[in-house]
Amino acid sequence: MQHAFKLGDAEHNTALSRSASAYRLHFGEQVLNVDLKTGADGRAWLTVGERHLEVVIATRGDDVFVHFDGEAYQLRYRHPLDRLAAAGGGSAEDHIRAPMPGSIVSVSVKPGDAVTKGQTLLVMESMKMETTIAAPRDGVVAVVTYEKAQTFDRDALLLSLVSLPRDAGEGQGGGGSTPKKTPPSQPSPASGGRS
Amino acid sequence: MSAVPDTSQWPFKSVLVANRGEIAVRVLRTVQQLGLKGIVVYHAADRGTAAVKMADEAIEITGATPVASYLDGAQIIAAAKASGAGAIHPGYGFLSENKGFCQAVEAAGIRFIGPTPEQIDLMGDKVRARNFVEKAGFPVAPSAIEDDDPKTFVERSRKVGAPLLIKPSAGGGGKGMRIVRDLALLEQEIERGRSEGQRYFGDGRLYCERYIENPRHIEVQVLGDGQGGVVHVFERECSVQRRFQKIVEETPSPALSPELREKICETAAGIARSIGYRNAGTVEFIFGQQGEFYFLEMNTRLQVEHPVTEQITGIDLVLQQLRVAAGEKLGFGQGDVKSKGHSIEFRIYAEDAARGYTPTTGPVLVLHPPQGEGVRWDSGILQGGEVTSAFDPMIAKLIVTGSDRADAIAKGDAALRDTVLLGCKTNTAFLRRLIAHPAFVSGDVHTGFLDANPQIAAEPELPGGTLQALLAASALSTRPMRDIADAVPDMHAAMGGWRN
Amino acid sequence: MKRIESKLNTASADFQANAEHNRRLAEEFKAKQEAVRHRRPQRDIDRLRQQKKLLVRERLELLLDPGTPFMELSSLAANEAYDGEVPGAACVTGIGIVSGREVVINAGDASVKGGAWYPLTVKKTVRALDIAIENRLPVVHLCDSAGGFLPLQADLFADKYMAGRIFRNQCMLSKMGVQQVSVVLGHCTAGGAYVPGLSDYNVIVRGTGAIFLAGPPLVKAATGEDVSVDELGGCDMHTSVSGTADYPAGSEEEAIAIARDIVAQFKRPQKSHIEWQAPESPYYDGRELYGILPRDIKAQFDMKEVIARLVDGSRFHEYQPNYGKTLICGYAHLWGYKVGILANNGVLFNDSALKGAHFIELCNQARTPIIFLQNITGFMVGKEYERRGITKDGAKMIMAVSNCEVPKFTVMCHGSFGAGNYGMSGRAFDSRFLFSWPQSQTSVMGAEQAANTLADVKIRQLAKQGKQLSQADIDAIRDPVLGEFKRKQSAWYTTSEIWDDGMLDPVDTRNALGIAISAALNTPIGDPRYGVFRM
Repeated sequence: MQHAFKLGDAEHNTALSRSASAYRLHFGEQVLNVDLKTGADGRAWLTVGERHLEVVIATRGDDVFVHFDGEAYQLRYRHPLDRLAAAGGGSAEDHIRAPMPGSIVSVSVKPGDAVTKGQTLLVMESMKMETTIAAPRDGVVAVVTYEKAQTFDRDALLLSLVSLPRDAGEGQGGGGSTPKKTPPSQPSPASGGRS
Repeated sequence: MSAVPDTSQWPFKSVLVANRGEIAVRVLRTVQQLGLKGIVVYHAADRGTAAVKMADEAIEITGATPVASYLDGAQIIAAAKASGAGAIHPGYGFLSENKGFCQAVEAAGIRFIGPTPEQIDLMGDKVRARNFVEKAGFPVAPSAIEDDDPKTFVERSRKVGAPLLIKPSAGGGGKGMRIVRDLALLEQEIERGRSEGQRYFGDGRLYCERYIENPRHIEVQVLGDGQGGVVHVFERECSVQRRFQKIVEETPSPALSPELREKICETAAGIARSIGYRNAGTVEFIFGQQGEFYFLEMNTRLQVEHPVTEQITGIDLVLQQLRVAAGEKLGFGQGDVKSKGHSIEFRIYAEDAARGYTPTTGPVLVLHPPQGEGVRWDSGILQGGEVTSAFDPMIAKLIVTGSDRADAIAKGDAALRDTVLLGCKTNTAFLRRLIAHPAFVSGDVHTGFLDANPQIAAEPELPGGTLQALLAASALSTRPMRDIADAVPDMHAAMGGWRN
Repeated sequence: MKRIESKLNTASADFQANAEHNRRLAEEFKAKQEAVRHRRPQRDIDRLRQQKKLLVRERLELLLDPGTPFMELSSLAANEAYDGEVPGAACVTGIGIVSGREVVINAGDASVKGGAWYPLTVKKTVRALDIAIENRLPVVHLCDSAGGFLPLQADLFADKYMAGRIFRNQCMLSKMGVQQVSVVLGHCTAGGAYVPGLSDYNVIVRGTGAIFLAGPPLVKAATGEDVSVDELGGCDMHTSVSGTADYPAGSEEEAIAIARDIVAQFKRPQKSHIEWQAPESPYYDGRELYGILPRDIKAQFDMKEVIARLVDGSRFHEYQPNYGKTLICGYAHLWGYKVGILANNGVLFNDSALKGAHFIELCNQARTPIIFLQNITGFMVGKEYERRGITKDGAKMIMAVSNCEVPKFTVMCHGSFGAGNYGMSGRAFDSRFLFSWPQSQTSVMGAEQAANTLADVKIRQLAKQGKQLSQADIDAIRDPVLGEFKRKQSAWYTTSEIWDDGMLDPVDTRNALGIAISAALNTPIGDPRYGVFRM
């Protein structure tokens, strides 16, 4: 089951198939008959096994928004080619994304700069707090997406790194190994208080 | 009191709302009900919002940032002049408590729907306001500033009474703060505080004030006509806060006995009366567990949470603001102000409670506001709009009103459950967890309640079967997954995962 | 079309005894499959895990569309050969659904002798590619092979249907416009290099995948050049320098995902149109097949009971119900597809053979695929029948079978002896698929008959020399012959030698035939045309 949805921080592998009479959801060892009948304005009837549920659904790009049982959830579809390329290429840390929406206070590096792990790459501001984005590992800055004062949404690509030149033979990406994910930054409050 | 007045004699026939979002919509509603022309200014980021669509005229303003444009008084006054607006309603935030703006509006021959510049000035300066209120004989939290007279500091501190809080004057971030519960230890603690202040800030001067444990935030709505007429419109309990911002407000306060209620409301009215207040205003108090309360500050504008007051009294506060600004007298007395039932406001924020209430952004793909008896939805967003990081993340207010508090809570839970907003995460689920908490149900909350109960904000475990339902809905809504299932020939699909 | 009225007494002692016997055989079959698929020395599994490789069955599950069937071919190939040390002939072949397309999968099994090619590996692979050619099915090759097994090179290298045929078949597929994708998951050395080389698309895994005509040791020996695997034929070299491979992948999972996306680009064929109606499950329970098949290979049973447990609604239109009754002919639907069925209910007489030939012509006229259900001891012999022309009547049937344009499918249900094997579309007659049930037996004659025949010849030779043989002497001649005959006519042996496309648990037959028919319809059905029928 190579397809996956991200819900919060967790990624859930799943697959969809079809029987003679219904769609089937494969989830772990479970296989459930499922169906979705959509009505006006996002309202829909969802069948999951024996359960019939009223939901509201909207999609945008790879995001699926579901209002179910009084709560709204956001699931992000992870296409296998993207997901597995990231997992196999050891490049998950190459893309530093915004932990929250905000704007750029300062950028300390430019493309081509070699950086060491922990080095400040940029400072962003969100919720009246400044957050320092530091390099998750040693590398070379490939792209800096935003300039000072520009705003961005959560998960926007702020900056990407490429590997430092390495000795030949070291560069074999281990098939199937999942690189350890390190959060790109720890928010460090620089100011706060009553707003 | 909220009967539609005759506006034919009013000095203005149109009102420009110098604000955005839900409050612009709220003000426009009353303006248009009165048959007045409603005008808004808007930044391009707000094009397509409810206020712009609703207004009789909308004028685009510009600025370095969207927020800056709404803070640009000169540009807004120019827009008012260009549109022939007779009055400006500032809403809350932005320029609503800006004395200079108020003066400039009036200088331009436009009515400012608010207090006098002097009243803004007085109440805008926290220290001046506090001193004024104290001198007028109203309760302020006892305190002592070492700088006032270093020789008598210890003595004056003792008079503040226990428990008290010692803070370095130069300090911040909690460093060097000491709580003194036993006055016998006062001098010793002062010395420690001094040395810590010296160590952290290179400055040993101190300040001390009465420490109120687990305080409540209770405020009182007042109305004044600037012509001697002042009434209070009861209190609002605003103790449930996150990151120093209110998120749930209600009236009546579950903390007040009838006597205390009378006392705190009359205190507020007295403060407003003492300055001859004109406009709707709010007097905020800090309220201790022993029923002691102290003046905190006065907001000389319409308050975010004003709807709960409207719901239980039937008074349209915006209407009263307009009337007073038009020169009318209140025309009713304290005895005419009656309340019935219980009302709760929920601030719907675009934010992720589990991630430290960080703001969220996104498109408003689907919006189904809750409906039903006793449900009020004040919002500036529309389906198809977008929540951006340009403004405050409050996107709507849900106000529920019931016969009593339990009824209102039940209505609130149902309405939050029915609130559908897809595309941008909101705090509705968090609010439901909050109001289900036994402490909230019993009305036993304080301003540190959410900090003391972080599990309310934490992402709860998904209820059983929910993940499957979400994945099913998502998989069936995701083309690459559906396409694969659909591409399988019927016979093979019917065989399922057969192996030989 | 009316339902077959089953006359089976499922409470009878005979039924119960049959059921027990055949269930045990089916369980034995499943146990052998389980061993072939999963029982490996731990060190072989550890070695693959160390190389960060997936096992071939794991690869298959990633490749196939979830919740779709996979019809494995010749699962017990080579099971009776090479002392049983090359389970499944070190490869997995079958028909499955990838990105909604029916494809042939040809996957090396590196957990068996590093995926080395034995003679039967080559035979199984060639057969899988023949199936691809005959049914115009795209092929996904999952390449992970150590290369030809050198000690047996003479039996796998040069002859017409040996290793070269794999590459020849790939070229034929390409010429026909049938697409192939290779996923290079291990080393593709020497001939193996041509599998990706001759594919339309190929994907290679960084680190573990490599393609070269000669590996580093051979290069060192030949030219003295010192070169690493990666430099010589690794992922990045081939995808960015040589252009031998098309898509680099960081892991096996990614490589297979890319291959799935490639297959999703394949144009879907316009299938041959045949009569079809919405499928319906058989009215009778397929599991009752166990009780129908007799324990004794010589015992007779009504093949209509078998038909009733394979076809839609158990409905059957019987042709010539009163003529040539030892051969049942008629129409039914299977998974919705209209089929003609020829099933043996006894020895073939002149009239049965003529009826069969006629019915095959009817099916060809109407573009109706044909299923042969074999339980045949042969054509009737004897003076009377030779005088009636049993040979020429049998020849008519064989002519009709051989020249058949509609796809044929054969199931070895029970006995398959003598020329009856031919007349009922045996392996030599190009059935698109041929399956065997565990109980079935295939040989030129029955084992007892053959042993007795051989013993008689010997006895007569010795008698001429004036020697008298004791019963013990006769047994000594007869018993080894009987044992060898029995072994080589059993389905375990025939399926090991790939005389079929695999053994089937009888209850799986309906699905296997459904998948087979669906696959066969990718190829256009030609107009009927025959040789000369001897009249």
